[in-house]
Amino acid sequence: MSLVVKNLSKSYGEKQVLEDLSFEINEPGVYALLGTNGAGKTTSIRMILGMLAKNSGEVYWKGKPIDAVHDNIGYLAEERGLYPKYSLLDQLLYFARLRNVKKAEAVERITYWAKRLEVEEYIFPAKNHKTKKAKTYRADQLSKGNQQKIQLMIALIADPELLILDEPLSGLDPVNTDLFKSIIKEEIEKNKFLIMSSHQMPTIEEFCTDITILNKGKVVLSGNLNQIKKSYGRVNLFIKCDADIKELIAESGLSVAGKTPSEYHLKVTSEQEAMNFLSTLIAHQIPVIKFELREPSLHELFVEKVGSANDEK
Amino acid sequence: MMKNNLTGWQEVFCFTLTQTLKSKAYQISFLILLLLSVVSAPLLQFIMPSESEDLISPIETLYIHNQSDLGPFDFTLLTQEDYYQNVLVETTSDVEKARDTITKEELNSVLLVLDDSQGYYSLEFETAKESALTDEQLNRLGADLTTLFDEQKLALLGVEVEQLNFIQAPITTLVSETDASGEAIYTEDTSISMNEYWFLYGTLFLVLMVNIMASTQIATSIVTEKSTRVVENLLISVKSLALMVGKVLAMLVSVLLQIISLIVVVFLSNQIVALLQEKESMLATIIPENIFSNINPINLLLCLLSIGLGMIFYGVLAGMFGATVSKIEEMNEGLMVFTFINLIGAYVGMGAAGSLIGAGNNPFVTFALLFPVSSPFLLPGAILLGKAGLLLSLLALGIQILSIALLFQFVAKIYEILILHTGDTIKLKALLKLSKSVKKGVSNEKSK
Repeated sequence: MSLVVKNLSKSYGEKQVLEDLSFEINEPGVYALLGTNGAGKTTSIRMILGMLAKNSGEVYWKGKPIDAVHDNIGYLAEERGLYPKYSLLDQLLYFARLRNVKKAEAVERITYWAKRLEVEEYIFPAKNHKTKKAKTYRADQLSKGNQQKIQLMIALIADPELLILDEPLSGLDPVNTDLFKSIIKEEIEKNKFLIMSSHQMPTIEEFCTDITILNKGKVVLSGNLNQIKKSYGRVNLFIKCDADIKELIAESGLSVAGKTPSEYHLKVTSEQEAMNFLSTLIAHQIPVIKFELREPSLHELFVEKVGSANDEK
Repeated sequence: MMKNNLTGWQEVFCFTLTQTLKSKAYQISFLILLLLSVVSAPLLQFIMPSESEDLISPIETLYIHNQSDLGPFDFTLLTQEDYYQNVLVETTSDVEKARDTITKEELNSVLLVLDDSQGYYSLEFETAKESALTDEQLNRLGADLTTLFDEQKLALLGVEVEQLNFIQAPITTLVSETDASGEAIYTEDTSISMNEYWFLYGTLFLVLMVNIMASTQIATSIVTEKSTRVVENLLISVKSLALMVGKVLAMLVSVLLQIISLIVVVFLSNQIVALLQEKESMLATIIPENIFSNINPINLLLCLLSIGLGMIFYGVLAGMFGATVSKIEEMNEGLMVFTFINLIGAYVGMGAAGSLIGAGNNPFVTFALLFPVSSPFLLPGAILLGKAGLLLSLLALGIQILSIALLFQFVAKIYEILILHTGDTIKLKALLKLSKSVKKGVSNEKSK
C-alpha cells in the first residue's frame, strides 16, 4: 500500500468543493482523476500535496502522512508557470535545489532531460562566434509547448517516486503529445506511482488502471477501469455492411447510439442480442464487413455518470 | 511545526536575491543612484556658498570717514589679521573725493562712513558698482569692522567689557518644585534643537523610503509569481510561509545593499572632494558636530535592530497585501491599506518629532516610540540622539518583535489560501473573515 487518500473534504464557507474523496494506489501505475471543469480535481491534487488545508480527511504515502516538501514527489500543475524573465537554467537549478538535488546531479539530469525533450538548444545554447558568449534563453522566449517541456523537466528533476500530472497533454501538438506519452510510459516502466488528470479519455484508457470520476466535488465512479467496464458488459455493437440495414435494426428493436456514413454504433442489452442480430443479417444475405462487440468506452462511462448525476439534481 | 513551515526559505532567499541583483532594472537604477551619490558632494560644494575661499582679502584700500562725535578710531588694527594684511586703511575727511576715487580709480576699494546723526551709530559701506568684490567678502569685512568698532566704542566711552556683560545679561527666573524635605526637584530639559529635529526627520524619511522601496519590490515579486502561476510549482517544494520569509528577507537585503552602498559612496565622495579642495567636508558643515555624541556600539546595534525589525514588519505586511492580488496591474489597489498603514506610522513619527522640539519627552512621544506602526520610523533617530533610553528602546523593540510574531501567526493562517487565490483583489474585511473561517476549519479538523 503506497498512497492512501481517506475521506478528503474541502469547503469554502457554505460551498462544498470536495466531498469524501477516498482511493488507494497499491501498485505502481497510473491512477486517473477525472471530472468536468470545476469538478474538484485540482483542489483534490492540491490537498493531496498539502498545498491547500483540508477540512477533513487524511493522505498517507508509504504509511506515513504525506509531506510533499520532504517526500520525493513531482508535480506538473495544470496552470503552467515559469519566471518569464529569468534564465531557464537558473530556474531549473532553483527547483532542483528546492527538491534537495545536488548541483552536479541536477546539471546531469537537466542535460539528460533537455536532450530527451529536445530543448537542449534553449537551456545550453551554443556560444556566439562574435561575442564568444552563450546567449541563455528566458522562458518568455519559448513557445508554449517548449515551456510545457521545461515544466515537465521541473516535475521530473528529482526523479520522483510519486508523480502527479494535472492535464499533462493539454495544448500539445501531436508530435509532442507522443513525446510526453513515451516519457509517461518510461516512468510507468520504472515502477513509479502516477496520478493523472486529463480530459482526453483515450489517453487515460491508454495508461490508467484505476480511476475516480468527480462531479461537482462528489465521487460518481471509482475503481479499477477493467472491472468497471466488465460490470457493464459488452453492450456496444459496431457494425459495417454493404447494404442499408436501417429497417432490420428497427425490426430487431435495437437502439442506434451513433452513425457514420458506413458504420452503425448500436446499443445491445446482451451479447446474445447481438448474435441474434448477426443471424438476422446472415439470413437476409447481407455481407457483413465489420462486426465488433465492445465494452463501454471511458468516454461513454464519463458522459453517462456525469450526465446522470447532473440529471438527478 | 514552525521549522517545517519554514523549510527551504534559504533557497528562496538565495534565488530571489541573486535574480534581483542580476536583473537589469535593479542594476540600472542602482547605477543611476550611485552616479547621483558620487556627484552629490561636488554638486553641493558648487551650489552652496563657501565661507572663505580667499586667504587674502582682495580689498585694496579702506577709506574711513568719521562723521560721528566719537573718536578717534584705530581701524588699522584690522590689518593685524592675516586676511587683511594687504589692505591699506586710510582716514579721510573729504568723503566726496574718496567716493570719486573708489568709483573711478580704485574699483576694489571700500568707503566706510561712520555716522551718529540719527541717534545711533551706523556704519555704511560703499563700493563701486563695477567692483569685483563679492557680497561674502563685504559681509565679512562688515562683521569684522563692527566688532572692532564695538570694542573701541566701549573703550572710548569708558565701559569695561565685564560691565557691559553684566548690564546685558538676561534676567532668568527659575521655578522649581521641592519634595517633602524641601529639596528641589530638577526636571531635565529633554527638548530637541532644530538641528536635532532635522536629523530625526531625516532618519524617519530614510526609513520610510527604504520601507517603501523594499515593500514594493516584495509585493511585485509575489504578484509576479502569482500572475505567472509559478507559485503552484513552488508550493510542492516549499511551504507558503517559507516562500514569503525568503522573499521578504531577500528584498530587504537587496534594498539595504543599495542604501548602504549609497551612503558609503556619498561619504567617500564627500571625503575625496574635501581632500582635493583642502578644506572642511560638506557633510561636516551640514551636520552639527554634537549630534552624534550619543553614538556607541549599543545604541548603534539597537538602532540597526529597530530598522531591521521595522523592515520585516512592513515587509510581511506588504507580502500579505501583495498576495491578495492576482494581477500585476491591480497591485496598487491591493497595497492601498498597506500604504495607508505606512503613512500613519510615518505621520505619527513626524508629529512626535515635532512635539519633541517644544515639549521634550511627552506621553505622545512615548506612544509613538512604542507603537509598532510608528516605532520603526522614530526609534532609530531617537536612539542616536539619546532621546530614547535603553529601557524604553528595549521595550519598543520587544513590542516590535511581539507584533511581528502576531502578524506572522495571522499571515500563516491565511497565506496559503491567498497565494493560490485568483480573481478579484481580496479586501481587508474579507481578509479578516478569511482568517476567522480558517481558524474554524482547523478546529473542525482537530475535532475529527
